[in-house]
Amino acid sequence: MAPSEPRRLSRRQFALLGTQLVAASVTVLLAIPIVGFLLSPLFRRAPTFEAKVGDISGVPDGEPTKFTVSFPQGEWTTANVDAAVYVVKRGNTYKTFSNVCTHMQCDVHWDGSLQEFLCPCHGGLYNIDGQNVGGPPPKPLPQYVHRLDGTTLYVENRFTESI
Amino acid sequence: MGRMLAAVYDWLDERAAIRSLVRKGLYEAVPVRGAWFYTLGSVTLILILLQLITGIFLTLLYVPSVTEAWASLEYLKLHDVFGSIVRGIHLWSAYILLFVIGLHMVRTFFSGSYKRPRELNWVTGVILFVLVLGMAITGAFLPWDQASYWTAVVVTNIPAYTPFIGSFIRALWRGGDAMGPTTLVRTFGIHVWLIPAVLFPLILAHLALLRKHGEFGSYVNYRGAFRAREGVDVPPAPAQRPIEPPYPAVPTDELWAAPLQTEDFYPYQTFKDGLVSAVFVIVVFVLAVAIGAPLEAIADPSTTSYVPVPEWFFLPLDQLLLLVPQQLIPLILVLPVGGVLLMLALPFIDRGPERNPFERPAVMVPGAFAVVFIVILTLLGSGRLFNQ
Amino acid sequence: MAVVIPALHQLAAQLPSQAPQGSNRLEAQAAIGTLFSIHILLAGLVSGAGELAPAIEFLGYARQRRRYDRLAHGLGRFMTLYFSVSSTIAILLITVLLVGFWGHFWSTILTIGWWPFFIEAWTFVLQVSLAYIWYYSWDALRPFKGVHMAIGGLLAVASFLQVYMIDIIASYMLTPTNPQNPLRLALNPTSYPLTVHRTVGNLAYIGFVFAAFCAIRYRRARDPEDKAFYDWAGSFGLLWGVGMTLMQPIVGYSYAKEIQLHTYASWYKMMFGTLSPVFLWQITLLGLMFIVALLYFTRRLRTDGAPGTGLLKLAIAGMVGSTVLAALPYHLNFTYDAVVAAGLNRPFWEGGLINPLGSMIPWKILALIGYSLIAIAAVVWYLRGLSGVVWGTARRGEQRLLVLSAVLTIAMMVTMGFIRENGRAPYLISGQITIQGQQNVQSAQPTPTPPPSP
Repeated sequence: MAPSEPRRLSRRQFALLGTQLVAASVTVLLAIPIVGFLLSPLFRRAPTFEAKVGDISGVPDGEPTKFTVSFPQGEWTTANVDAAVYVVKRGNTYKTFSNVCTHMQCDVHWDGSLQEFLCPCHGGLYNIDGQNVGGPPPKPLPQYVHRLDGTTLYVENRFTESI
Repeated sequence: MGRMLAAVYDWLDERAAIRSLVRKGLYEAVPVRGAWFYTLGSVTLILILLQLITGIFLTLLYVPSVTEAWASLEYLKLHDVFGSIVRGIHLWSAYILLFVIGLHMVRTFFSGSYKRPRELNWVTGVILFVLVLGMAITGAFLPWDQASYWTAVVVTNIPAYTPFIGSFIRALWRGGDAMGPTTLVRTFGIHVWLIPAVLFPLILAHLALLRKHGEFGSYVNYRGAFRAREGVDVPPAPAQRPIEPPYPAVPTDELWAAPLQTEDFYPYQTFKDGLVSAVFVIVVFVLAVAIGAPLEAIADPSTTSYVPVPEWFFLPLDQLLLLVPQQLIPLILVLPVGGVLLMLALPFIDRGPERNPFERPAVMVPGAFAVVFIVILTLLGSGRLFNQ
Repeated sequence: MAVVIPALHQLAAQLPSQAPQGSNRLEAQAAIGTLFSIHILLAGLVSGAGELAPAIEFLGYARQRRRYDRLAHGLGRFMTLYFSVSSTIAILLITVLLVGFWGHFWSTILTIGWWPFFIEAWTFVLQVSLAYIWYYSWDALRPFKGVHMAIGGLLAVASFLQVYMIDIIASYMLTPTNPQNPLRLALNPTSYPLTVHRTVGNLAYIGFVFAAFCAIRYRRARDPEDKAFYDWAGSFGLLWGVGMTLMQPIVGYSYAKEIQLHTYASWYKMMFGTLSPVFLWQITLLGLMFIVALLYFTRRLRTDGAPGTGLLKLAIAGMVGSTVLAALPYHLNFTYDAVVAAGLNRPFWEGGLINPLGSMIPWKILALIGYSLIAIAAVVWYLRGLSGVVWGTARRGEQRLLVLSAVLTIAMMVTMGFIRENGRAPYLISGQITIQGQQNVQSAQPTPTPPPSP
């Protein structure tokens, strides 16, 4: 059996292979930072801030009362963002709800005539305990992570359960 | 004077070959009958160009920052009459563009213009539709007033219902779990750079494909139209076919390949295109001056009294969101995605050569149902919103 | 003479001097209800024919088929023959029964809804004149088909406008808004859903009825062209009927949603309360009607050995499954309140009276989606198989199925009317005027002013 000839790289083949290699390596080199940049929000942790709601001793029993707090937005902006806090006192316990509907995140408000939280977008309903009782919302009304210092309420800009 | 112009023309032709370019551009053949219907493509093009121009000029003032966006547009509204009109044109042209694209798609669908050899034209068209929809959606975020903030919240929340990766897609778009400065800036970049970078080359491809095969027009222009009629003979194939570019000289499918009667694009079709485009542009202009682009109060996430109202082209989806219970919400996601996929696959599902819409009910009937469903959902949604 | 005149005096002395008092009596309601049902069963046909016949004429022109033209001509003849009957009953209803028994309600609704009634009256004038012109100018305008079709188009528009106007009034009765604002009156919450629901329903109804009529005519036809025509027209009518009806689940659901959002009590009665068994029957009838239609499709293709029967049989199986799912009751009692009061609102396997498989969400919604999707698929498969069908060869079974589907449709319409009126009871205008409040105008209590809308 004759020994096989060493494979010779023709000029054409070298140019072809070279083009492909160069193109591939430049693409990969560029893709890494670009794709990484695009996906970076998934890996950034949003900073948590705490804001003071105020004195909740005057909140009437069984009637959700709305407070507005201001959080810094972090990132590069110096502007704050407002958030709504519904404080519901029932006897000795109280809850802090946000105004974000768990269906499509429209703004929810307490409807006195219905005695339920109503979302105007698609008619979602939550009872005074935040349970989703009507319409399409899949989860109860989100509650803030909060703490009570005496009668002063503080909330953080995150929910107890993500929605 | 005329001799000087002719000399300039010759000078340019020697260096840039414009004579053949002009001849190719202006004097191609188009079918005669049904021409008013296929002006819709030109209207779409004109309105997209209008968007491009007004959009470019809007970037000379608008700032994509959560504090400055609304402020810059408020400044425009209060202090710049012409700027406000430009913004108004940008808004109303967008609304009417989506409507015209819908008409254009329906016309192309019912006329069977997507069949061989024009399948790629249809496919690029569907991708263009999705991209234009993306432009409309991302553009709606930019003013950062109450309307656009809450639209952005709801729209970015829709992909969250995708199983497994839903919350990641939402976080990718918003730049985190919550809306914030990143959302606005990202969306601005998508709206001004990312989508247009794909949109405009694709438009060129769409037009090039149109030029390659010629406008199909309507089935009444072809020998095949006579087959379906009772007691009417199909006219014989012409022995000698005059070459009318871009239609094939030797037709692959004699019944549907080349129209029986054609005329020059310029000036006959350009007149019709121009007239219909002018009507739509004037309507846009009138709406821009009379109503203009509204700017509501600055975005306030803490509001509990604002009632978000979806854009008109979102009404069918919004009505479905109202009707479908939470267990079946992924079904809503399946509908638009499935619909787009079906549209993309259309030329490969309906492969037969028949172009007469009344003779191919197996495709036309579901298509008609889809159109009617969307119209009914839009009507029901608009009625509901009026009563909110 | 000496005998007759005293007898007449005696008779006159026994007749009531004015409309019976206490016109909340069951007899009055029954009379009005029955006549209204008959009116709708006839008027729905006329409105549907007014919209469908011009469309069929246009299709016939586009496809250059003579049978379409003959069918449209026949529907036009139907309109001219039966318009008067339907209108007479309407006038009898309105002028005699409504004014006599429910005068207070009638004057209130006419005052509130003056513009819709006014426009509706003119659409009637248009409808009648155009129907006659369209039918009688058929042959004369044959060389000017475009003009004739334009007249037909106007007739379709007039028919639609007439239905739209009366639906404004009917929907206002269920979900009243601020009556001072005509735009709010016209766009009250259930106006659009009801109009779409009824327009689609009328088109379906006329399709089913003329299909049944053609089925009966087919049996008696002798001439081969006549047989072929009636066979084709029966199939065509059923296609329209099924095609239009398969849109009803989503429209009906939207309608029920608006009722839930704006008059919760009526919605509750229909879904959970005393009317829920009737509504369950309605949904079952819908499924049965689809099954009968699909059986027709299958049989018709099989008669001529055309392909596609296998897929259609699959569709029938799917449709039966959807019907069963739709027909399952949620609570195994007359009303849900009774179940709750007895403390039995638990699944039946836990000793309660609740059947979780009968719940609206998600089972009945899936059943409704099944109705629509399977019907679309069946229509498409049938259309594809039609290329193998020879018209004029249909057997008796097919014709019986056509008649049965029309009977089921009529049953559905009567049931729907019953549900609709009793859902709103005891109100005639929700929250404002009750049936019991219908005294003659002199002794009427003033109605509370409707509250301005938010």
